[in-house]
Amino acid sequence: MIQEFQPVIRELEGLAHDRGLVFDPVVFQITDSDEIAQVASMGLPNRFIHWYWGGTYKELVLQQTKEVFSILELVLNTSPSHAFLRSTNTYLQNVLVIAHVFGHADFFANNHWYRKSNKNMLNLAEQHARLIRTYEVQYGRDRVEKLLDALLTVATSVNAFERSPQEQRKRLIYYLEERAPLEEFERVLLEAIREEAEYFDLIQRTHIINEGWATFVEAELLNRLLSTKEWASISTQLCNRPAPYTIGYTLFAHVRDQDGFRRALELRQFYEDVSLIDTALTEELVRRLDIFVYDAKEKQKSYELQKVKEMLISQKLFKGEPRIEVDPASQGRDLLLAHLDEDRKLEPKRVGLFLRSVYSLWRNPVKLRANGKVYTYDRRGLSST
Amino acid sequence: MRIHRGRIAQHKHDQHLREYLKQNLNELIQQKELIIDGKVKTQIATLDLPTLKFAEEAQYLAQGAGSGGAGSGAGGGAGDERVQALGGLLGGDHHGKELRVELDFDEFVKLAQEVLLDELQLPTFHDPARQGEVESQDIPELDDLDRIGIRADLNLEETMVQSLYRNARERGVLDYDVDVQQDAWYFIEDPTTFQNNRSVEVYVLDVSGSMRGEYLSLVRKTIFILWHYLERRYPTNLRRYVVFQDVAEEKTRDEFFCVESSGGTHISTGFEKAVELLEGAREYDKFLFMFTDGETSSGDFDLAKKRFEEARSAFDLVIYCHVNPGGRGIGGFSEYVQETAKAQEGAAFANLMDLETIRAAMKDFLGFFDAQAVRRGAGATRR
Repeated sequence: MIQEFQPVIRELEGLAHDRGLVFDPVVFQITDSDEIAQVASMGLPNRFIHWYWGGTYKELVLQQTKEVFSILELVLNTSPSHAFLRSTNTYLQNVLVIAHVFGHADFFANNHWYRKSNKNMLNLAEQHARLIRTYEVQYGRDRVEKLLDALLTVATSVNAFERSPQEQRKRLIYYLEERAPLEEFERVLLEAIREEAEYFDLIQRTHIINEGWATFVEAELLNRLLSTKEWASISTQLCNRPAPYTIGYTLFAHVRDQDGFRRALELRQFYEDVSLIDTALTEELVRRLDIFVYDAKEKQKSYELQKVKEMLISQKLFKGEPRIEVDPASQGRDLLLAHLDEDRKLEPKRVGLFLRSVYSLWRNPVKLRANGKVYTYDRRGLSST
Repeated sequence: MRIHRGRIAQHKHDQHLREYLKQNLNELIQQKELIIDGKVKTQIATLDLPTLKFAEEAQYLAQGAGSGGAGSGAGGGAGDERVQALGGLLGGDHHGKELRVELDFDEFVKLAQEVLLDELQLPTFHDPARQGEVESQDIPELDDLDRIGIRADLNLEETMVQSLYRNARERGVLDYDVDVQQDAWYFIEDPTTFQNNRSVEVYVLDVSGSMRGEYLSLVRKTIFILWHYLERRYPTNLRRYVVFQDVAEEKTRDEFFCVESSGGTHISTGFEKAVELLEGAREYDKFLFMFTDGETSSGDFDLAKKRFEEARSAFDLVIYCHVNPGGRGIGGFSEYVQETAKAQEGAAFANLMDLETIRAAMKDFLGFFDAQAVRRGAGATRR
């Protein structure tokens, strides 16, 4: 079936090269919605199986069945890149997807942060999955699952951009990797989960620029390939995509209109989400994109550029999650964590569950300064002062 | 061979979810509106890893929902409700998204039964009906339609039409997107000539002021366990639902599990409506399950007695459940029924106070089938 698309793949690839894009080969394969939902929920096609992906998978399948939301394509940052086209897409939808995929492939190959990324993730994920299966036999499923739950919980503290060991040590997972009294197999699994988390962290931190660039490339290529009528219908679709696509696309289109295509190529090479937003977002674009800071209590919208920008950047910097760091006062067996935005409240119910997870890895008392209190989790459970 | 990793992960997720729901069953079962759009909706977020999250915040980043992103202009003015929070969307994955757990009602009931049977340690029941009240070796003629039936008897044409109506109504499209739970019609034997055994079950619920919390919990738990036994006993269960306070009304199943409590109590109306619903159904095993606190209005007492007697002669068994979470003494109309049930056949009385009393009620109920088997063995005929 993929043969049907070979001519258009070649044509779009040629057009992409003509526009100055450079990328590794892309392996396209046709697959069904179910496999796409599976890969989308797990992140990688051969990743270890965990209950947590199961909830997302279920939801995606349901949304696709009810046609609330469909994932049209998936592409992996590997060498060569692997891209999945959905068999139920129309021919024209798959042409769009192919153009979009070339945008991603170009981004993977040229963006400063992606060039350093692990392109061997498919093999690595397979190795991790096998390792986990072996450990499940050796140490028991329940024990391994509980360990994975705790590791995935602390894995949100990775930062793919952070290279300084001193700064990394402030982040919980790196601190635990260095100092937690783990058994050998536990340490091996911690490293595995941390590696995978870094791979996904990079994707998160470049979501807007990556999707924006891919959509921008898609538009650039299709504008040359399609008839005016086809293009008109497609261009309406481009405006109706989820926020990261439209925000990124609008920023790139604006840069191209202001400073030319070469400048857009530069941004895709050296920038990530935060620097792109900081550089390219203007008051006019905030209005055009209809993004605002919303005060739910007062039901007020603020389109003030600085306010929107700050919130968007903080969202990207910390992935919308609380900023938790290991406090320098942590010594020996004492682990003290601090929530850096003290004036923002954390969901109290989650604090106990989170600390219990950390305790299961640290095995000594864990403290967290947040919500104007110091929470402690030790062998007696949770307490606060 | 393709390994369905997604489905395996989902299975693991659902196992965790079941455990979680089992622990919270008592809270869930008391929800006033138990079924919404055929689903049991819970306050439980989809099982999540215990990462830290911010408590609800007054200000957040958002986009005008449905405004079409780029080129759409500034959207509505202040106070416009079409606001979509951007938090989870910008992260690039699903981590920030809070999904509430929803279960199909049937799935929920199965789960509840699993928990309750385990807790109550009730006897298992393997005595399916093989013979009807009117015994026949003939293959039944399936010349009528019903919303309840077995998959093999699905009426495709009617089901497709129903699906079309539903999709037009709910989604505004003329699509055949069959959801068996909502759309299915089945070929059945015409109830008036029905020769194989199935039950008619009428559930009558007193929805006067006190029906909430533990009261609801006892009623629903009892019903779910009854279903467990009745579904094993009869190939098909035809269920009708009635609620009453001053007047009685027939309800759909979903409405029955979402009723608002209000008004006074006229038990007579409940019995009357139940008997009315038997019209045209003379050859089933007919059960009436009445759930009430028994405090009928003073002027209704005599009429309620009369209607109870009528119900007793119309049904094979009237089970009167005095819902009594406080464990108070039994008086008033309930006392009358209790005495009658002791002295005469065709009625059973249950004083539902807690799980232990539900257990006792079930044993009494199962006694009915034993007695039925004895009667059959002796060749006795019933009405």
